[in-house]
Amino acid sequence: MIQFVARRLLATIPLLFFVGVVTFSFVHVLPGDPAILFLGEEATPETLAQFRARLGFDRPLIAQYVEWLGRALRGDLGRSLRTNQPVTEAILQRLPVTFELLAAALVISLAIAVPMGIVSAVRRNSGVDLASTVFALVGFSLPNFWLGLILIYVFALLLRWLPASGFVPLPALADNARSLILPALTLGTALAALVTRQLRSGMLEVLRQDYVRTAQAKGLSQGVVVGKHALKNALIAVVTVIGLQIGGLLGNTIITESLFALPGVGRLMIDAVFARDFFIVQGVILFLAVGYVVSNLVVDVLYSYLDPRIRLG
Amino acid sequence: MRSWVWLVALTAIVMALAPAAAGAQTRGDSIRIGMDADTTTMDPHRSTAAVDRQVYNNVYGKLVDIDARFAIVPQLAQSWEIKNGGLVYVFKLRRGVKFHDGTDFNAEIVKWNFDRMRDPALASPRRSEIAPVKDVKVVDPFTVEITLSAPFAPFLSVLTDRAGMMVSKAAVEKYKDDFARNPVGTGPFRFVEWVKDDHLTLKRFDGYWESGLPHLDEIVYRPIPDSSVRFTAMRTGQIDVMHQIHPKDVSAARGERGLKVSEIPSLWWEAMHLNNQVAPFTSKAIRQAMWYAVDRIVIQRVAYFGSGAPGWGPFPPSMWAQDRDFTDWKRDPAKVKAKLAEGGMPNGFSFTVKGWNQPTQIQELQVVQAQLKEFGVDMKIELLEFGKLLADLNSHNFAALRIGWSGRPDPDGNAHVFLHSKGGLNRVRYDNPKMDELLDQARSEPDQSKRKALYAQVTRLAAQDAPYIWLHHDAEVKVWGEHVKGFEHISDGMMRFKGVWLDKR
Repeated sequence: MIQFVARRLLATIPLLFFVGVVTFSFVHVLPGDPAILFLGEEATPETLAQFRARLGFDRPLIAQYVEWLGRALRGDLGRSLRTNQPVTEAILQRLPVTFELLAAALVISLAIAVPMGIVSAVRRNSGVDLASTVFALVGFSLPNFWLGLILIYVFALLLRWLPASGFVPLPALADNARSLILPALTLGTALAALVTRQLRSGMLEVLRQDYVRTAQAKGLSQGVVVGKHALKNALIAVVTVIGLQIGGLLGNTIITESLFALPGVGRLMIDAVFARDFFIVQGVILFLAVGYVVSNLVVDVLYSYLDPRIRLG
Repeated sequence: MRSWVWLVALTAIVMALAPAAAGAQTRGDSIRIGMDADTTTMDPHRSTAAVDRQVYNNVYGKLVDIDARFAIVPQLAQSWEIKNGGLVYVFKLRRGVKFHDGTDFNAEIVKWNFDRMRDPALASPRRSEIAPVKDVKVVDPFTVEITLSAPFAPFLSVLTDRAGMMVSKAAVEKYKDDFARNPVGTGPFRFVEWVKDDHLTLKRFDGYWESGLPHLDEIVYRPIPDSSVRFTAMRTGQIDVMHQIHPKDVSAARGERGLKVSEIPSLWWEAMHLNNQVAPFTSKAIRQAMWYAVDRIVIQRVAYFGSGAPGWGPFPPSMWAQDRDFTDWKRDPAKVKAKLAEGGMPNGFSFTVKGWNQPTQIQELQVVQAQLKEFGVDMKIELLEFGKLLADLNSHNFAALRIGWSGRPDPDGNAHVFLHSKGGLNRVRYDNPKMDELLDQARSEPDQSKRKALYAQVTRLAAQDAPYIWLHHDAEVKVWGEHVKGFEHISDGMMRFKGVWLDKR
């Protein structure tokens, strides 16, 4: 197991190198000159040249990349062109917000999807099943930002139960939760819809299997059969879906964080892209890539726990 | 016993109401501002984003300021004298002014600030704004003499913005590049904290030179990028003042209890830039056909929901330079057809306009598209992200490009850079010696009524040559809660909070 994790982590090194090269070149072929964005439209050619020289943007791309990589390996991802804040510091400052948002979205989507998926599988073709199908269809089709706007309209403006925007950091637990409910719902609904469907079909398949019939024949209660014997095996499909969707969720945090004015990593990146704040963009993408790799690793480890037949090695 | 309780209660109520009943300015409150974007840097000598100036106006003192009627008023400079036909400006500085770090403001500091902005190594965007400055001399500790290389009438108005903001020398030397996150000025509020994309907090500066000001204890700027979410935050009381409202929400804001909407003319113009060196816009007749084909009144009504004003020149209605007698900007189908024929394309032509991918601007372009269609002119719209649009503009990579200008308090700043053949923003490569002469003359003429006459000629010549098809002047709109008192709305859109207080009855 430890060997497996270590090997997987080692394998990520070339991957991250690749990600680094791709981000670096994407950021630099992006049309739009950072010098003009930073110095303003009226800047003279000399001033622009001085700015580029100061940041080393006038050197060949390869030289710039090697220097960036060298510093990145030592944990220095550079500094923001605008505020001079170290990139690592900027990301670490925002990571808790994004992490909390992701966790809340996951919790909310599972809280919706797991009971709904189980019930709709057990009571197949019932009213509950139909309702869950409709929920899954609508939830998956709604555009993220639109759902967010509707939630804000209903819960912030009409009912005035929750704040429309903003983030309250953690020691203030109640306010923190209140500030995250709408964003987490916005981010988690599509996942909830997907998981509901996966769990339903997974459960249906498992419930048809012999060992479940055996368990029922032994006289075990329906709750034990479903909750203990069937659910664990049906969860494998769910874990796979969640693992695959983490990347999508990370991407959607950009929209959710911008809409709800949360100071997270996604918003840091989108602002940096528009401002061509190169080092921030590169740093965030690298971070997201690491996050994606790690979350997939966690999924693989979870597999072996859920199904001992799957051996890691 | 009972009456005693009542007496105490009554006294308490009267005491609580007393200052409010007198209409007095209450002190010690915190105000929350909903912004459309986060501040980008706190160093005014390095900033290019308009949003930065909002915060700066409360943190930094400027040599001079403008008031609601565009008059130049004293701030850190108590008085000034213009000598040698507009070549020399002598500023008498205010005494006893302190920076937030306790250091003194004086003539040496002013000179050092100008040197900093002019230092090529800093690559300051201010450098081009104060390009006419040739020399800055300390006459005595509270007198500064600035010599220009040529008379430049807009000089004082340039100093009402970032170029006139004085930063603490001690703080810059201490923090170096990190000054961008540790600003120190002489303004009514001092910087406390900036959590990027979440909030930026200022606190009352107790050593502020204007006695009794500011009233507020604290300002919290909150960036909420989505305009409808920002408006919801305003309606639900999460913020006290809202910066930048979408034109479609203005009527809803007017109908909302407890909210006040103030709409005044801004300094902006919006225009389609026609590249004078790319066919078919090399032809003056074709550019004129465009000038008469657009219906600016319909654009204002449809794309801007009636707010702002039709645009037909570089000077908005808020400016003294606008020539209100000029009427040759109305849609005129007969003239369009004649001009198209004159340009050799009686059945129209097709071209692509580049524009910013932003709702109001898209709508505006779509209206123009429909209007041109009637004359067989087929306008394709290519939407771009702002950075790319700017890059294409600067490299002259367009036939037509739609972009706006936030405007400057002096008319020179709205015209010279765009219309002069050597203007820094003349990306359409418009070149008319007569125009150059008018603009140069207006720039060096100290007398405002003479300048006004010159700018009237500029407006007419620009309409005739039509290098730009001006479309609209945006309105400057602010929304605030009725409990916000003492707010003075100025056309530059900057929110100055020193005289503001909250009345939370």
